[in-house]
Amino acid sequence: MIESSKCHTICMVSDFFFPNMGGVEEHIFNLSQCLLIKGHKVIVMTHSYEDRIGIRYMTNGLKVYYLPIKVFYNQCVLPTMICNIALIRYILLREEIEIIHGHSAFSALAHEAMLLGNLLGIKTVFTDHSLFGFADASALITNKLLQISLASCNHCICVSHTGKENTVLRGRVDCKRVSVIPNAVDTFSFTPDPTQRDTTQITIVVVSRLVYRKGVDLTAQIIGDICEKYKEVQFLIAGDGPKRWLLEEIREKRGLQDRVVLLGSLEHSQVLNVLVKGHIFLNTSLTEAYCMAIVEGASCGLKVVSTKVGGIPEVLPEDLIILTEPTVPALLDGLDKAIQDLKNGQIVCPYACNKRVEKYYNWQDVSRRTETVYKIVSKEKTINFRQMLYNHLSSGVWPYLLVISLAFLILQFYEFWVPRKNIDIAKNYKIKRKNVQT
Amino acid sequence: MSTRKKRPKAPWKKILYEKQDYPDNYTDQNIFLKDLRKNVDFKEVSLWEACLGASRLLQEFFTVILFILIYLYMVNKWVEPGIVLYGMSGTSFLGFVFYRIDFTNSAPKVKQHSLGYDIRTILTFVAFGQLFSPVLHTLTDTISTDTIYTMTFIMLLLHLIFFDYGVSSAMVSKSISLSAAMFASICLASRLTSANDAFVLLTVATQIFVLSPILRKELNHNVILTVILFVLDFGFLIQVSFLMSFLFLFVVVLVNLICPVLFVRYQKLKDNIYGPWDEAVVNDADNIVL
Repeated sequence: MIESSKCHTICMVSDFFFPNMGGVEEHIFNLSQCLLIKGHKVIVMTHSYEDRIGIRYMTNGLKVYYLPIKVFYNQCVLPTMICNIALIRYILLREEIEIIHGHSAFSALAHEAMLLGNLLGIKTVFTDHSLFGFADASALITNKLLQISLASCNHCICVSHTGKENTVLRGRVDCKRVSVIPNAVDTFSFTPDPTQRDTTQITIVVVSRLVYRKGVDLTAQIIGDICEKYKEVQFLIAGDGPKRWLLEEIREKRGLQDRVVLLGSLEHSQVLNVLVKGHIFLNTSLTEAYCMAIVEGASCGLKVVSTKVGGIPEVLPEDLIILTEPTVPALLDGLDKAIQDLKNGQIVCPYACNKRVEKYYNWQDVSRRTETVYKIVSKEKTINFRQMLYNHLSSGVWPYLLVISLAFLILQFYEFWVPRKNIDIAKNYKIKRKNVQT
Repeated sequence: MSTRKKRPKAPWKKILYEKQDYPDNYTDQNIFLKDLRKNVDFKEVSLWEACLGASRLLQEFFTVILFILIYLYMVNKWVEPGIVLYGMSGTSFLGFVFYRIDFTNSAPKVKQHSLGYDIRTILTFVAFGQLFSPVLHTLTDTISTDTIYTMTFIMLLLHLIFFDYGVSSAMVSKSISLSAAMFASICLASRLTSANDAFVLLTVATQIFVLSPILRKELNHNVILTVILFVLDFGFLIQVSFLMSFLFLFVVVLVNLICPVLFVRYQKLKDNIYGPWDEAVVNDADNIVL
């Protein structure tokens, strides 16, 4: 316990963290920073990245444990559920963790730590960042795994209402146990700068990984058609991926080398420099739980044109975004409208845009709402082993009870082998708390 | 009652950008899962359609049995290899003539091989078949008969699994299916007494596994063909083994009666869920105009 009773000690667990870059990583880092400033104790647990093994401290004393676990597939560890018990138990006890917060359904480490947390009587919260279908075999299996994992999880957080519907269906969780807390964007680092814009030309910006799920096939077709129709339009594309060749090919074939610029993969901090140069932000994702990119675009005062998929329709009010069906003709219509609006001067002032986005989404608000979840969770009764087994019966995969039992036995063994009283308690990092009211 | 005075509270909206006067875990039962749709492309299959579909599998199963029967009759010398060769080749010729006529009538626009090309192919096959049949005959000679039969069984099973029954699926692979069948026939050829017998068996295998699917596809896997094959198989099989013909009948009943009935009965349990979380499909991904 530190200071007042309302402060919690939280352990964020995910396979995805810095030095990896992406939406989940960004979310964990920003949320942790806000919680630290509010006086909570936050540590992050992730697997090692190359030579990053052991404990590292980041901004404001955010303690990160890089566990020496081998990566198995797609940046995830092998979900053995029992092999890392000793290590994770030691850390959880050493840091006196009260709440485990797992991130991303793909992260095996998060599920492992949540199982262990439940067995140790620690409360668990899980944030789901992605959407899944129900149509194919791989989705069926991952959905079953999620259902197993969430059976004894205290609370779930989703980033959009569509995400909540999806998680409730996939994980068969009670909808009262699922909260919707959107992602946020640091609007200060995404401030518009209209002086950077080209006055003679209209710049369309695309910022995304160049993979199938982000709709690169649609983008490629659109680039060709729009460049033909409007001579004053140019494209700025940031991001890299396996589908980059498609854009390069269309640029080559149509002779658009001077009008379509492929910037490749950019640091998150450099994205701003690209965004401020644009007039229109184009997003062609085929599926998206929340879509950080369009919020960043809107924050920089760009007119956003996006496909109407997943949680995107919930994210921005109608006057800031043009929503279209995920087809080439619909997107072309959307871009036509955006270009006409620009030519007629019907645009929202970029600075007003920034202010509005700041009002909608900021990390203070996100962390406040997450705190509410923590508060609810910490008041809940700790479930014992028997109840936990009972909860897991509902998932229908009864052999998993054996896994839980084995984990329980291993924990009992370590309780004897490395007793709690022999585990040193880690000292807390003291940060200057100028923002915290005492 | 609706007349009762309520606290003025704006109705909940499915948006993220506004702070709403509801807790984060609030669920509006009217809006929640409103976009959920079930069984979008569901088309009910009638029992007759299911049986017709199943008969496609049976037809291929019958051709495999026919091939095995021919082998069995040849290895036990119940039949002269010449009769098999001329009988099958005669049937193939009739099929070929029918195919040519049918093909020219139905699809005149499609460019087809000239007659000369087809004859050249046949001659090439006969010449190379005769040349290599001694080699193929002794290729798997040293392997024990048990292994050969097990191998044949597995290969023909693979053939049946990967065969193109006219349904687009990731499982279908014509090349695996054909290779497995040819491998099985080469395995069996080594059990025959002479190279000439082996040549006959390989020719029959080619006719059954390479040529007949082309013709049967053209005939749309006609049921009459299935019936003819069934009579043929059963007639020969009953002379070989009573038990086997019983099993054969059992398979026929299972595949063409029990399975379709189960399928039709349980299809109402189909429960596919669709909603806004599904990945959008790019229809024109393959034909982008570059």
